[in-house]
Amino acid sequence: MTKLLVNRKEPSRNEIANRQDFETVLVNVRKVKSLNSPWFYGAIAFSSLLILTFLIL
Amino acid sequence: MSANLLNLSLFGKPEDELIIIERAKKNPAHFAPLYKKYHEAIFRYVYKRVDEEESAYDITSCVFVKAIVNLPRYEYRGIPFSSWLFRIAKSELYQSFRDRKAQRTISIDSIQIGRVLEEFNIDEAEHKREILLKVLPMLKEKPLQLIEMRFFERRSFREIGEILGLTENNAKVKTFRALIKLKELYAKHNPQKS
Repeated sequence: MTKLLVNRKEPSRNEIANRQDFETVLVNVRKVKSLNSPWFYGAIAFSSLLILTFLIL
Repeated sequence: MSANLLNLSLFGKPEDELIIIERAKKNPAHFAPLYKKYHEAIFRYVYKRVDEEESAYDITSCVFVKAIVNLPRYEYRGIPFSSWLFRIAKSELYQSFRDRKAQRTISIDSIQIGRVLEEFNIDEAEHKREILLKVLPMLKEKPLQLIEMRFFERRSFREIGEILGLTENNAKVKTFRALIKLKELYAKHNPQKS
């Protein structure tokens, strides 16, 4: 259901500027990039294979 | 941070912006001037469409994370960088509605209500305003976003087209159709049939 807000107070330019946080954005970019990295999934696949081999033997 | 050393006044021109984008593709830290430039516009776009201020800040932050991660795929093809950011903002908004992290909201003020009624050639009597406010949330998402962008945010058809991935002419036609749909809903719910 869509909500309707009439004459809602908008934050001022200063309030918005004070909430800028580029450092957090960069930290989250690094997190996303490491999750998307083939090394991440490669390492998981390799360790799963190792565990499987160990269990079979 | 080295990116902060870039003089913001340097990128008044689109080609200066492209230089920063190319630098940011190699090092995300160089994205800082673009973040500073567009943060407020993206925040306001998001804020008008969600019910909570904190959700708007969170979504805005996600928009920039997504923009930086996908920046290597960005190529300038005549569409301004800001429109590319608004497209990401639109997709992040719908993702948060699907995940129920935010509620779809229409933020409207008295001037904007008057603007729509004027488009209908209707005077601004109180009961007519109420009918409009009642029928606005009944619009489907696509016509609603066209009405929001054109009449509430006063965007040009060109900009609307760039954000929604339409041609300028197509944006104009679709906005006109959205207005007709709103007018039909208004007429249906107006007992006086003005």
